[in-house]
Amino acid sequence: MSKKNKILIIVIGILLFLFLNFFQKEIRNFFYKISEPIQRVLWGAGDRVSGFFETITKINKLKKEADELKLKNQELLAKIAFLEELKKENEILREALNIELQKEFTLSFAQVLGKDSIKDSILIDKGSKDGISEGFPVITQSRVLLGKISEVYQNFSKVSLISDKENSFDAKIQESEIYGVIKGKGSLKVFLDLIPQDKEIREGDLVVTTSLGGIFPPGILVGQIGKVGKSDILPFQEAEISPMFSLNEVEKVFVILEY
Amino acid sequence: MILIYFLFFYLLVLIQTSFLIHFNIFGIIPNFVLISALILNLFERPEKNNGILVAAFGGFFLDIFSEKFIGFQTLILLGMAVFIKLILKRYVRIQIIKKI
Repeated sequence: MSKKNKILIIVIGILLFLFLNFFQKEIRNFFYKISEPIQRVLWGAGDRVSGFFETITKINKLKKEADELKLKNQELLAKIAFLEELKKENEILREALNIELQKEFTLSFAQVLGKDSIKDSILIDKGSKDGISEGFPVITQSRVLLGKISEVYQNFSKVSLISDKENSFDAKIQESEIYGVIKGKGSLKVFLDLIPQDKEIREGDLVVTTSLGGIFPPGILVGQIGKVGKSDILPFQEAEISPMFSLNEVEKVFVILEY
Repeated sequence: MILIYFLFFYLLVLIQTSFLIHFNIFGIIPNFVLISALILNLFERPEKNNGILVAAFGGFFLDIFSEKFIGFQTLILLGMAVFIKLILKRYVRIQIIKKI
């Protein structure tokens, strides 16, 4: 191939990429639309097959977990009974004080279609046509925080997971006034940073969102405290967070449209 | 042949982003698009250019299903393919490559 031809190919290539990036939303939306049925089937199949293999490899661990869960279940049942009493009392007090019930979220239901191969981001089947905008929080069925909408196409959206490196937001330890900043580290890893040294945090503590920053509604479950990194030379503590969702099990999600 | 490569890599990227994403080996999800492009470039005759085309298709589809700008992974895969071709053409002389 002559030098002239090579230069011509490079110039055409650059122009093509510029064109593709200029119309990237339309092009991506087109490919997502034609791929949606196949992706839906593949995601479901992957979910089932990986679940099957996971069960085989984790059978011993599951047995242990089942025993622990039985115990926890008993504890929780006792707690529920206690909370039911409190609920009744609360309702009576609300009526008495004429307090308006907290506004529920306006949610939009979406199906997960795929995951980005290099970033912690997933593709869902709802887009600008369904009233989705950038920055909307995304949660699971069990009200666990997944992330926020990072890119919107006509019929699809990308959800940047809380573990994405570009994500950071305020959070606190549930039932305490210990605040920190959640930082995504990529590869589905999440950390709680900037926790003051004098505060004591324990493994297993639950982390929830706060209204600080205004990115997410307060009180949404983020994860559970894992390993705590405490060092005298550092001004703050840092703790690993185990997200409460497993990407393998997430099939349907909710986008919070209003809160 | 070009159409076959195009369709093959389109399907492979769909499988990669929607099916294989569920399986991780010690926390790593192998990228079969990259592996396929790598194998094709390694075992193809150095004077043929199908490997470069395959790298471009693979990269393009990975870009479509990714959040980065279109061209990011295409350039990475193309760079890899050109590098392999260059090394094989200039420095490697294996009889078996000629036979394939």
